[in-house]
Order: sequence, then structure tokens, then C-alpha cells
Amino acid sequence: MNHLAGKTGKSAFVAGCALIALFFLCGVAVCAGGGEHGAAHEGDGRLVNLGARAINFALMVLILYLVLRKSPVKDFFSRRTEEIKQKFEELKREKDSAESRYAELERKLEEFEVKKKEIIEQYKAEGAAEKEKIIEEATKRAKQILEQADLTIQRELQTAKNILQRELLDLAARKAEEIIAKEIKDSDQDKLVNEFIDRVEKLH
Amino acid sequence: MIGSRVSRRYAKALLSLGQEDGRYEEYGRNLQEFSDFCKRNEGFFQVISNRLFSAEDRKKILDAVLEKTTFSDTVKNFLRLLIDKNRVSGIHELKDFYLKLTDELSNVGRAQIITARPLKKEVVNRLEKALSGLTSKQVKTEVKEDGSLIGGLVVKIGDLVLDGSVKAQLAGLRASLKH
Repeated sequence: MNHLAGKTGKSAFVAGCALIALFFLCGVAVCAGGGEHGAAHEGDGRLVNLGARAINFALMVLILYLVLRKSPVKDFFSRRTEEIKQKFEELKREKDSAESRYAELERKLEEFEVKKKEIIEQYKAEGAAEKEKIIEEATKRAKQILEQADLTIQRELQTAKNILQRELLDLAARKAEEIIAKEIKDSDQDKLVNEFIDRVEKLH
Repeated sequence: MIGSRVSRRYAKALLSLGQEDGRYEEYGRNLQEFSDFCKRNEGFFQVISNRLFSAEDRKKILDAVLEKTTFSDTVKNFLRLLIDKNRVSGIHELKDFYLKLTDELSNVGRAQIITARPLKKEVVNRLEKALSGLTSKQVKTEVKEDGSLIGGLVVKIGDLVLDGSVKAQLAGLRASLKH
């Protein structure tokens, strides 16, 4: 790149020098033409001027030919053309790559769409299964609660029955005590004591 | 608990003296009388067991009472010693333990008879004889009345309880009906 820049700079320098020389020569020709203008005849002056201009032009063409033949301008433009071509090809490749990438992304997007549908379907199926399971468990639990309640009722009934029975027995015993206490006589007490002593004697 | 242990030690000491002179039963009777006297005369008992009064003053009061009794000199001195050692407040426990010891020594068993109605003397004698046969000891009885038994009687002798009351029979009947 630096080499190319160096060459381009040198060519520009040569072209610059040629242009300065050309202007200088043109100036000389004009001055020469001007000096003749006042003193000679108008027709002769025009011919001399034309000749000077022709020589001037010929010199300019010659110089340009020499300068342009030596300078690398042609190479510069050919290289530039090559670079642009390469750049164009590179851009074309990038465009192709981007297009293929775009196509790939589109394909992936389609795949995602399909996958999304699959996932939604799967979740719907799982949700339905979960719903069934929950309903089944709730039914089972409700049955258990009912059974438990039934057992509790039975137990409570039994407890109430036992309490009633106990109260009835206590009441009967109290009543029996009252009746016996009222009806018992000294002869009964003697009989009880004698029976007690008999039992103690039998224990010997 | 500690007081009870000390009372037992004093009771054993008095019993050993009684065993030496062969008068331990008499000492037991004296202790019983003194204990009963203290129970009947709460003011007297509180004064002789109160440490706010000097031991000398308390002994003077005790002597005034003991002069009127026929207690043996050993028991009198023993009671004075209890005042000196500030142990007279445990006289009831001491007496109970002493009597227990003398009962063991004399092969005597004490029975408590709880009856619904008063017992005739001959019935008590017959019962004592039956209990003597049961325990192989001479049985001395103490009779108490408790109308809540309805009928029959209860005998307590040591750890043994013989319940022949109508109340117990009704309780047994109730228990058998419940099961």
C-alpha cells in the first residue's frame, strides 16, 4: 500500500512539473506574440502568432506524451479498477452469505414455530392429565373424609352410650344405697358382722 | 422426715431402757397418757414446745403437771430431756413409734375396726380372736363408727385391709356391671 502511495506521489510530482513547464512556455509564446503586435503589420503578426501557438501546442503535446508515458497513472487506474472489482466481488459474497444466513434464520424460525406448537400441545396434555389426577385425588380424599366422619360419629355415639350407661349405673347404685341404708336393721348388721367373722376364721 | 427419724431414735433409746428394767410396757402407757394429755390440752402443749420460752421455764411447767401423775421417773426424766433437746413437739410421733416397737416386742398386733353400727362386746372379742388366729399375734382393737359404710365393717391391721362393708359390696357390684 505504501509502495503504491509512493509511486502515485512521484507521478503527481512529474505531472505537476510538466504543467508548470507548459504554462511557462505558453507565457513565453504570448509575450513573444505581444512584442510583435505593435511594430509589424497586422497580417504578418497574425501568422507569427499562429506559428508560435502551433509550436507551443506541439511542444505541449510532446511534453504531455512524454510525461504521461513515464507516469504510472495507467497502472493506478488499472489497480483501482481491480480493487473495485475485488470489492464488488467481496460485497457480492457478503450479500450471498447474508442471504444464506437470512434463509437459515427463516428456517430456524419455522422450526421454532413448530417446536412452540409441540410444547403448547405437550403442556395442554400435561395440564389435562394433572387435572384428572387432582380430581381423582380430591374424590379419594372426600371419600376418606366421609369415612372418617362416619367413624367419628360411631365413636361419639358409643362414648355417649357408655356415659349414659355409667350414669344409669351410678344412679341405680345410689338409689340402692339409699334403699339399703333406709331398710337395714340391727339384725342385718349382726348377720353381716357374723358372716365377716366366719370368713376371717376360714382364712386361718 | 428428719423430725420423724429423730423421734424414732428417741423412742428406741427409751425402749432400750425399758427392756433393761423390764418396764417398757409401762413406759409405753405413760407416753400414751402424756400424748393424750397434750392433745386434750393444746395450750399446754404449745407452751412446752415453744422455744421462745426458756427450757427452765418450760420444765417448771412440765414438772407441775408431772407431779400430779404416777409416771415412772425414767419417763419423767425422758420428757425433761425432750424439752432440753427441743424435741417435745414430736411427742405424738415418738409415742406411735414406741408403741409399734413394743407391739413387735410383745407380739401384739393393733387392728382398727370401722363399723357402720355399734358392735357388742362379745362380737369384738370374737373378732379379736379371729384376727389373732389370722395374724398369729395378740390383737388389740380400736373401734370407730362410720355411718357411710351403710352396713358391715372394715378391719385394718398393719397393711392388711379386710372390707366387709355394704358400701364395698355395692362398689364391687357397680364395677362388675360397668365391665
